[in-house]
Amino acid sequence: MTETLSTTGDPNVPLIRFRNVGKSFGGARALRDISFDIRPGMVHGLVGANGAGKSTLIRCLAGVVQPDSGSIEIDGEPLNISDPQVASELGLAFIHQEMSLIPGWDVLRNMSIGIPLVTRAGIIDWRPMRAKAAAVAEQLGFGFTLSKQVDDLSTADKWLVLIGRALMADARVIAMDEPTASLSSREAVRLHAIIRDLVARGTTVIFVSHRLDEVSDLCTDITVFRDGKVTRRVVGERLRKSELVTAIVGKDLEIPEHGHDPTEHGPEALRLAGVGDGRMVRDVSLVVHEGEIVGLGGLVGSGRSELVKAVYGASRFTSGRASLDGRPIAFSHPAQAVAAGFGLVPEERRAEGLFLNESINFNINLARLESLVFSRFLPFLRLKLARLRAQDAADQVTVKAKNVDELAGTLSGGNQQKVAIARWLIDPPRVLILDEPSRGVDVGARAEVHEVIRALAARGTAVLVVSSDNEELVALCDTVVVMAEGRVVGLLSGTSITVDHLVHLSFENQREEGNAA
Amino acid sequence: MTLAESTSPTEVPELAPDGHRRRIALLVVSKYGTLIAMVIMIIIFSIAAPGGSFLQPQNLLAILSQSALTAIIAAGVTLVLVAGEFDLSIGYTASLAGVLVTGLMSHQGLPIPVAILLTILAGAAVGMANGLLVAKAGVNAVIATLGVGTMVVGLSFGYTAGQPIVSLPADFTAIALGRAVLGVPNLIWLMSIVLVILWVLLNRTPLGIRIQATGANSHAATLAGVRTDRAKISAFVIAGACAAIAGTLLSSQLGSGMVSSGDGYLLDALAAVFLGSATLRDGKFHIVGTLIGVLIVNIGFNGLGLIGTPTFFQFVFKGGILVFAVALATLARRYARS
Repeated sequence: MTETLSTTGDPNVPLIRFRNVGKSFGGARALRDISFDIRPGMVHGLVGANGAGKSTLIRCLAGVVQPDSGSIEIDGEPLNISDPQVASELGLAFIHQEMSLIPGWDVLRNMSIGIPLVTRAGIIDWRPMRAKAAAVAEQLGFGFTLSKQVDDLSTADKWLVLIGRALMADARVIAMDEPTASLSSREAVRLHAIIRDLVARGTTVIFVSHRLDEVSDLCTDITVFRDGKVTRRVVGERLRKSELVTAIVGKDLEIPEHGHDPTEHGPEALRLAGVGDGRMVRDVSLVVHEGEIVGLGGLVGSGRSELVKAVYGASRFTSGRASLDGRPIAFSHPAQAVAAGFGLVPEERRAEGLFLNESINFNINLARLESLVFSRFLPFLRLKLARLRAQDAADQVTVKAKNVDELAGTLSGGNQQKVAIARWLIDPPRVLILDEPSRGVDVGARAEVHEVIRALAARGTAVLVVSSDNEELVALCDTVVVMAEGRVVGLLSGTSITVDHLVHLSFENQREEGNAA
Repeated sequence: MTLAESTSPTEVPELAPDGHRRRIALLVVSKYGTLIAMVIMIIIFSIAAPGGSFLQPQNLLAILSQSALTAIIAAGVTLVLVAGEFDLSIGYTASLAGVLVTGLMSHQGLPIPVAILLTILAGAAVGMANGLLVAKAGVNAVIATLGVGTMVVGLSFGYTAGQPIVSLPADFTAIALGRAVLGVPNLIWLMSIVLVILWVLLNRTPLGIRIQATGANSHAATLAGVRTDRAKISAFVIAGACAAIAGTLLSSQLGSGMVSSGDGYLLDALAAVFLGSATLRDGKFHIVGTLIGVLIVNIGFNGLGLIGTPTFFQFVFKGGILVFAVALATLARRYARS
């Protein structure tokens, strides 16, 4: 099966050439004038901060989105990759963070998706498929059988299955988006060995990662993105991590000493001491005071969402202690958290936050139904009060809608987010957690969302904001706790909260065990 | 909800562009199509039935009486569907209730109110079993309720040894057959009471809103602090209790308790609920829609009977109107959006 993979030509002819590729979404320019080559048989690293343009470029290559300008050449030929099918026929395979495995299916069937090996009668012939899969399994060193259900595999093994699927499809190029983000150090090392082996056999690997150590270790060529532009191209030479950080941030950085001074805020509201979930979160300690806005910064996959869900009772923490107003808390269901004075605006607004087919009124009042009834013994809802409350909350966040009977699903993204936040303006909680409060929200709505968050804090709510948008953290937070790989790696407060410091801390502190703050 | 409301939007777009007019027409069909169908049926039967017999007050009361048991069961199972689950055990629960209530009176010699109360509790217990299996153990609702329902069939046979239970107190049979208030059959009063209670519960209490939230987006409901498992269990318990009430009334109506007498209500009730979901509110299950669904089927049955249509055709009608109405509403909704 390897002969189909060894299509390596002259290493000096680029396999993929991006020529002045540009792409805008609405008014935002995601890519500007991107030009660089991907040489065959190499590991090519793409690095940059969140939103720098790496993913958009990959999506262009995969045929998921079309560039507005410029061209993509494959084997020297300019091609229009109009849809993912075309990319697949060109021998390009893409492996994303969101696992595209089919749960409940075994390894063999998951590896065989999209590879129709049928007999003339139109029936799938599993024999050649199994033989090919077995060869791939041996090459990749599967520690599990082909008949194992993918649900039972570890994250690392799932990645192997996805790589196996690409090899089954005779991919010449495999693009991997953050393959090691949710792997342990040892698993990551194993994946690195497999990638080196793939490259030695002639496959080209595009490697997107936030972990700069492994990028400088693994990649022979590196392209650095910032604000939709290529800021550094490295071809065939090793680069030190500090140089990479400089290219990502844009200048040399010296992080000043910074201390924690919670002087202006009220008494301590939420305290976490050594909280861990046994998986993605390790030994996190932080304090949020009454009226304080604390940010949780760091890269995607650094364990922030997992942390807040564990505190909120949507999952559980297995180590450490948490307290609210000095009293210990450990919730096993979000209902307990809500009753104790917590609120959460989840990351996935449409899937986790809102009821799209229900009215604004319904969405806003849902968490506070108990206070709408006439009495305990007359548990009927006071509809007029409900409407007034919903209207008032919607007005506070300036939801643009005719009235509160409009369905949440008909609103724009920014207005939907405002509704999700408005739910917690009724009888505001002691602690409000917002996970990516302005993702996918336009600039104007974003400023309004920030205004609402500040107003809540001013009324005494302790606010914890998870954001991958460093500018948002700078604009909003009194204190920012930076996490990397499940740990706290830094604490910034007041004027020391800058985008540069946040980026620096996020990248600089990866994989340096024992460096936790 | 009236015909006037349903036709007025179609008149507005005379001035509007073509596409807009078509869109509004489609929206009207998707929301009011079932109601329009009901009105058309009423008009046809009024004209076609011999001697104007269809519109006679006695016939209209008969239609409502015939609708009562299905409506009570269907309203209960509506809550389960609103919660995003499914219940296949309701017909069997109604059958069990029929033999239990009669058996408790004639075998155990319990007074009528006590027998009825115990029977409703038994129905609620069946619902509780369904709810625990679905919400706590995570068993697929179709499987869980089919399994529980099958066990309920076994209980019915075990309790009666397969023999019908007859010789019931006259006071008991009078419940379903009597006309205690204003000369209107008791069944209609009871149906109204159950429907009003369930409507209030679903739309005007925190529990009802939580049931709706659970069915609309279970994950989002959980994160908003809703105990979705409790909401689901409550819905199953209510459905079980409603099935038991209907089964009790059925045995009162029949004057006997017979195993499997209520089984057929499962399909009638589900048909009504789905028919109702195509009415007024875009594909959502709701109590008023369920009532309309029940009425459409029974108006059709009654009218076709008066005209003298053969029985086989009445069944073709019943299945046909369900499939046709739901398909029409779904298609109209899809095209109106596109």
